[in-house]
Amino acid sequence: MDDLNSTNRKLPFGIKLPAKVVWTKRTKSDLRTGLLFLSPWLIGFFAFTLYPMVVCFFFSFNNYKTKRAPARIGLQNYRDLLVDEKFWIALNNTMYMVIIAVPLGLFASFLCAILLNLKVRGQAFYRVVYFLPSIVPTVAGTILFLWLLNPQVGLVNTLLDRIGIDGPNWMADPNWSKPALILLGMWGMGGTIIIYLSGLQDVPQSLLEAAELDGANWFQRLWHITIPMVSPITLFNLITGMIGMFQYFAQAYVVGGGDNLGRPLDSTLFYSVYLYQNAFLFLKMGYASAMAWILFIIILIFTLLLLKVSDRFTYYAG
Amino acid sequence: MTNTSASPRDLNLPPQPKHISQSEKHVRKIRDIFTSTLSHGVIIFVGMFFAIPFLWMLLTAFKSDQDVFHSPPRWLPYDNVRVEVNGEKLPLYNVRVEDGTIKELAAVKIVEGVGTFVDPANPDEILTYKLQQGKERIAEAIMEVSFRWQNFPDAMNRGSRPGVGASFWVYFRNSLIVAFFTIIGTLVSNTPVAYAFARLKFPGRDLLFMLILATMMLPFQVTMIPIYLLFNDYLGWGDTFLPLIIPAFFANAWDVFLLRQFFKTIPEEMCDAARVDGASEWQIFTQIVLPLSTPVLATVTVFTFLYAWNDFTGPLLFLHSPRNFTMALGLQDFQGQKTIIWNQLMAAATVFTVPIIIAFFFAQKTFIQGIKLTGSKE
Repeated sequence: MDDLNSTNRKLPFGIKLPAKVVWTKRTKSDLRTGLLFLSPWLIGFFAFTLYPMVVCFFFSFNNYKTKRAPARIGLQNYRDLLVDEKFWIALNNTMYMVIIAVPLGLFASFLCAILLNLKVRGQAFYRVVYFLPSIVPTVAGTILFLWLLNPQVGLVNTLLDRIGIDGPNWMADPNWSKPALILLGMWGMGGTIIIYLSGLQDVPQSLLEAAELDGANWFQRLWHITIPMVSPITLFNLITGMIGMFQYFAQAYVVGGGDNLGRPLDSTLFYSVYLYQNAFLFLKMGYASAMAWILFIIILIFTLLLLKVSDRFTYYAG
Repeated sequence: MTNTSASPRDLNLPPQPKHISQSEKHVRKIRDIFTSTLSHGVIIFVGMFFAIPFLWMLLTAFKSDQDVFHSPPRWLPYDNVRVEVNGEKLPLYNVRVEDGTIKELAAVKIVEGVGTFVDPANPDEILTYKLQQGKERIAEAIMEVSFRWQNFPDAMNRGSRPGVGASFWVYFRNSLIVAFFTIIGTLVSNTPVAYAFARLKFPGRDLLFMLILATMMLPFQVTMIPIYLLFNDYLGWGDTFLPLIIPAFFANAWDVFLLRQFFKTIPEEMCDAARVDGASEWQIFTQIVLPLSTPVLATVTVFTFLYAWNDFTGPLLFLHSPRNFTMALGLQDFQGQKTIIWNQLMAAATVFTVPIIIAFFFAQKTFIQGIKLTGSKE
């Protein structure tokens, strides 16, 4: 936050718009050095980001199929998508996860962080227990949950049975497959818990004490001090969590067993899964490219919307 | 810090009465014990959600084939008690013999509910019993808690499907190779970029930094198809590790961001002093900044390992023949079989997970620091 000569409105995450440049010999040589240092990224950006993005955009107006010359078909892919029932199912499934799983995961992580911040003996041990599942590889974790949630011999339904609950069919039931995946996601939310935990530790003790002297109870302190103080973390996790959720793939692929993607009854046919299916199984690369660009635009809109709305709810210290 | 327990605030904070009565002390002590027990209780209850699946993976990995499907499931792995008869290890059964007494007999073979038994004390005599007569159970296997370590070599020596000509050892090695080169590429390419964003002043820097941050929003799917065609069809790198490794040599937004955050904390004066002495930016970067950055380099190494080890989509797109599979791909392939051998699957999953757990216990601070760095804004 050094040079404050720019009068620009502060952007989220402390990003400032640059001031005007005066070109001298010095700035030119600075630029050369700078670009040299940046060259790995600049080359990568052009080769693996910008160029593929543009090609993908171009593909989306083609009926591109591998090993066949593409033909320009204008907006046909997009028009087809609008009436593609599976496209809407996939989008729906993904929105379900974005709107339910992401906030739910954040909320649960925050509660877990509060628990782990309590001064109890064995705190360090508890933190490790909460964190460990998050470093279990995705494929291993998903397979483990398929086993745990096995309707007949799985541990979860057996335990439920013992307390008199007839457990659902989980991954085999279209109504329960997504909740099962949400559970899997929450099992591995240790990273988010740690981020919240460090946020909780950064809340100034003096503020909490002052509020307490003024007679604020634990819940009031939480609501009026702690939650606002960690709101930038919430925003950051909300955005990254949402972006990640729009691309939700590996878990769903494993649940589908590879050759049965989306099972049961397309309930785990997420956007990225259907996109993958179109691109690499049906070899409709143009169609998949159109899907990819739609996804990008959806993510863009969601992110900007969140940043806009968050202006009013996020508190930046300093 | 949020403080729920009543004691610290009552002790730390002002208007304290001069004399606390004996009974009040008691009340306070009881309240402390109560809040502490409640805290532990809630933490442990929620903690079970995290711990039990993990333990279940380990426990299943040690179970015998029948025990996996034992109904209802038991926590600990059980296996047959075996005795050696004529040089063979045979499972022991409790058999109700003709006179109604129960004898421990060793089963030679069991075919369609009829068992051929021998008495370990008198191995020459062959006895035949039905396992079940009507509703009555005649022969019952004697079980004991026993961890079946053999599952691990069994799982690792097999392929993900019959006759693939590659074992999980090969997948494991492949994962290591990919992870190793991804780490090298990530370290080499991200550090100079992050240094430029953290310390160099040049026109357009902040704009470029916004651009690199913006790429975090870009879904992989947008670049996936052209990159696939480039690597697979145009460059002919399909079914090699190159498509997984090469992009790591061209920096990425997350690691640049993480490294930049750290580089910014290195005192500017040290670099300025070197600049006055005529050091070039490259010298300052390699001789001052990098040596001071070992903690963050360790963080990047650990996280890149985690990412490469965990990655599923990349290998799925580019690796086709089983001898090139990584652990993630091999495990998925194994799970996708018609009949799932759960104990071996869990053993393979454990082997897949253990390197990360080991890394975590060796570099716990590094892990936590990295997560905090990526999670913090500014």
